[in-house]
Amino acid sequence: MAIGAVNNSISRAANSVTQKVMNKTPGMTVSNKKVLDSLKWIGEKVSSPQNRLILGVTALMSQPFIDLSNKKVDEETRKVSAARTVAKIIAGTLTGVAIRYGCIKAIDAFTKLPHEIKPNMKFKNLRRLFIPSDVVLESLNQYKKALGTIISIAIMVVTNFLIDAPLTKFLTNKFVDKIHEKDKQKQVNKEVKA
Amino acid sequence: MSLGSLFNKFKTVVAQKYGKDPGKMLIHTGVIGWVFSSLAQVAAIVINDKIPKEQKMFLIPQEIADAGVNIASFYLITNCFKSLASKLVKSGKWAPKSVREFLNASPKLKAKVGKVGFDILKDVKNVPESIAKDYKSFEDGVDVIATTIGSVLSCNIVTPLLRNRFASDRQKSGIARMNENSKTNESNDVKTVQRPTMETFKALSYARPSGSLKI
Repeated sequence: MAIGAVNNSISRAANSVTQKVMNKTPGMTVSNKKVLDSLKWIGEKVSSPQNRLILGVTALMSQPFIDLSNKKVDEETRKVSAARTVAKIIAGTLTGVAIRYGCIKAIDAFTKLPHEIKPNMKFKNLRRLFIPSDVVLESLNQYKKALGTIISIAIMVVTNFLIDAPLTKFLTNKFVDKIHEKDKQKQVNKEVKA
Repeated sequence: MSLGSLFNKFKTVVAQKYGKDPGKMLIHTGVIGWVFSSLAQVAAIVINDKIPKEQKMFLIPQEIADAGVNIASFYLITNCFKSLASKLVKSGKWAPKSVREFLNASPKLKAKVGKVGFDILKDVKNVPESIAKDYKSFEDGVDVIATTIGSVLSCNIVTPLLRNRFASDRQKSGIARMNENSKTNESNDVKTVQRPTMETFKALSYARPSGSLKI
């Protein structure tokens, strides 16, 4: 009983905060057909691989600069840290996008409705393997993407060790070597000028 | 329960939970991804024989703290964006033209627009199919955009800033503690628990083999 009352008051408080934020947010009516079509396309087509790619690209545009401007550590640490961040983003994005995309494609190949199974298809018996039998689906497309993403995450637990970590180490060493070479060159140039 | 029925149950749960909500799927799989990648980082330290036991005492809690920051900021920020966008669409405050015209046609519905408890598809009976279709594709698009903006903000701006701040604070306090310990050990000449040196602590903090890789 007491827990119910606490829950109610938390929910009322949350609703009141949300209502205040909603009141402050300007209303919007979208009438432009191109915008509406784009929204429809995004809702249907953009899923976890594209989301991971966007995260990776924007990470490259922000995270190295955040590391380089971290004045709480020395310059050498800042440079190594930024190099490692870039390596980590490249490795993580490449494997993340590829594995998500591959898994969704694989699930799609084995989640076919009866009319989609063509006579010349291989493994006809397995083509309906992932169709759920106990539920009426609102969107088969979203279901396939969700299932593919979940399976890709399980796979990535292993590839995180086998691909991401060694690739990150390899790229970090390459970048750090480049940084050191540049620093040496700068030092030589300074000495020549002096 | 047989393997077959377990598999069927798994498919049903995925279909029911994420079959109609792409944003929710992106958030939940994002959190699962962070949890797994954090577990992998902790496991990498635990099973690494090259790291002395004493240094593991520092690195494991450090990795767990990193994971806590990553997961909490990702979930809170991304979920806030998704939830707000979803409420704005459900309450009709953000709507495509066809849905707006449908809502404006009834003074009763018009008065409810922008109210937090109002949900067009749940509360309004007999919504024409074409309007419901327009609404659904608009809702899905806004949902994915809000989730993506939230995850970019949390993963690429808030989390790195917080992580850098925590890491440098931890590094400072760790180094101070180590210096304190080595001084005490020298003066007392008594063997206490061996702590990592400043150099190894710094090296391990900033050059771990696979720290905080996002799955």
